[in-house]
Amino acid sequence: MSRSSGKARHNPLPFIGKQISIQIQMRALSVFSFGLLIFQPAVFSTVGYMLARMAGKPAPDLIYVIIGGGIMGMWSSMVFTSFFDINNDRRHGTLELIVGSPTSLTTVLAVRTFANILTGMVSMLLSFVVVIFLFKFTIPLRNHPYIIVSLLVLFFGFWSIGVFLAHFRVASRVTGQFINYLELPVAILAAFMFPFEYLPRWITWLSNSIPLRWGVTGLNASFQQELILSNLWQDWATSIGVSFIYLLVTYFLSKKVHDMIRVTGELSSV
Amino acid sequence: MQNENDIVVHVEHLNKIFYSIRGYWRQKKHPVEAVKDISFSICKGELFGMVGPNGAGKTTTVKMLSTLLLPTGGKATIFGHDVTRDTQQIRPRIGFTFGGNKGLYGRLSALDNLKYFAELYKLAPETIENRIKEMLEVVGLTGREKDRVETYSSGMQQRLHLARAMLHDPDLIYLDEPTVGIDPIGSREIRALIKELVQRGKTILLTTHYMYEAEELCDRIAVVNHGEIVALDTPASLKMRASNESVIVIHTPTENSALQHELANLKDEIVHLSNSTDTVKIHTRNPGRILNSLAALLERQIISNIEVRNATLEDVYVQVIRESTP
Repeated sequence: MSRSSGKARHNPLPFIGKQISIQIQMRALSVFSFGLLIFQPAVFSTVGYMLARMAGKPAPDLIYVIIGGGIMGMWSSMVFTSFFDINNDRRHGTLELIVGSPTSLTTVLAVRTFANILTGMVSMLLSFVVVIFLFKFTIPLRNHPYIIVSLLVLFFGFWSIGVFLAHFRVASRVTGQFINYLELPVAILAAFMFPFEYLPRWITWLSNSIPLRWGVTGLNASFQQELILSNLWQDWATSIGVSFIYLLVTYFLSKKVHDMIRVTGELSSV
Repeated sequence: MQNENDIVVHVEHLNKIFYSIRGYWRQKKHPVEAVKDISFSICKGELFGMVGPNGAGKTTTVKMLSTLLLPTGGKATIFGHDVTRDTQQIRPRIGFTFGGNKGLYGRLSALDNLKYFAELYKLAPETIENRIKEMLEVVGLTGREKDRVETYSSGMQQRLHLARAMLHDPDLIYLDEPTVGIDPIGSREIRALIKELVQRGKTILLTTHYMYEAEELCDRIAVVNHGEIVALDTPASLKMRASNESVIVIHTPTENSALQHELANLKDEIVHLSNSTDTVKIHTRNPGRILNSLAALLERQIISNIEVRNATLEDVYVQVIRESTP
């Protein structure tokens, strides 16, 4: 019996696997992806490194700008690939097929965002390679578990904000394009490439509402020789908490978006 | 008389209004009524056709019935479920294709496309492989399934669309212009596939621009114009509307005044007249009288050829559209 049930799938892994495989196949030969995942973060890291060195910054701050380049790569990858994915689906008529299927739109967007962040991890891994092999920075063994947890927390933050923004991309072509303008403001507000304390105080309330700001601070803290665990725990907890708020808002937003696109007919490009 | 249990699609006074933005500085929302107060039902196992000019509201209707668009007014049910509310009950039971080469991932193989949609339709993992194999065989794409879809011809892509729409074994299938842009042999293959779907007991809503296709396939046809159903009947009954009319096609090398003069004299016998570059088409209830008058022109080679035939479904369609266009 092959008829679909329309109920929740028992095992989501094959769907996640298929979606990731599709995302990779769709851009395996894309020059744009190469630029986004490797070239752009490399430029950010190099420029950041040079600026930090000219300013006479000590080693951890140098690490900060290089790892920040990797985070920037992840962020850009998520922002732009999600944009191109949905635009392509809209143009090729597959967005209608996705929305018209028994799988909820939010599930598809969540899995896609996950796949895009996973692809974006290439930038992060490269930045680690640069830090360890090029700059000979040794990360003490006791920091390793904290760095891994920080990366997972950051990944979760990326995912929550990514799924949230993806709904605006589906909602209409105009709002979808506006999301692209968030690339650099969010990178600055979440202090990807410099310590958060450098931001003016009057803007910090806005930064604090972005889970990535806490995730990045946590990741930076986990690189420090002298770990302050209480601060680290606080960063992780806040990042996860803010991420959950985004997911909660997304839950309510998803129904609104689903109804809205059914009124406006914004699913196809015609 | 339709049995209520056999009704798969039931549409009552369905309406859809879109708003287009006009102006640059002072933007104003302008309502466009894409579908106006349409009502019809489709029974189980029926192949129901919708024909009409571009922008008539066919695709909008299909999209409302596919739960992709919300109606502005009226009501539509699929298997007794409301299209506005019960999307989760309806979606697993319907399949749809939209015409042209849209609706597939060109950079992926047919196999990957089908696997992805099988996942979206939550097919049981153990059945996916067999079901894809079966569908590829049905549409005649076995052996080409590993090729990228972008290398497929339009006909192959359309057959893949059908495989995708059939993958989850839906009871109701919407086919929106399935043969658009396909060569005659490819179109014939698609029509054969559609007939096979009907034989398998599927209910089908087909939209098309091609009258011969509608006539060959459909049990009933709705003619849609400006968002309204202006005629709805079996192909045979629709043709009866023009059964007392004949069509005379006159081939003329150039526009000639002698012919125009003759036709002006015959205006009482002409139901409808249409001109194109080198042909004049006349609908008449009295072909003998017209042929007599034109015989002299044919003899003098003012006109090169005359054909007389019965009115076709296309002629009826043109007549219905003409009468319903303000």
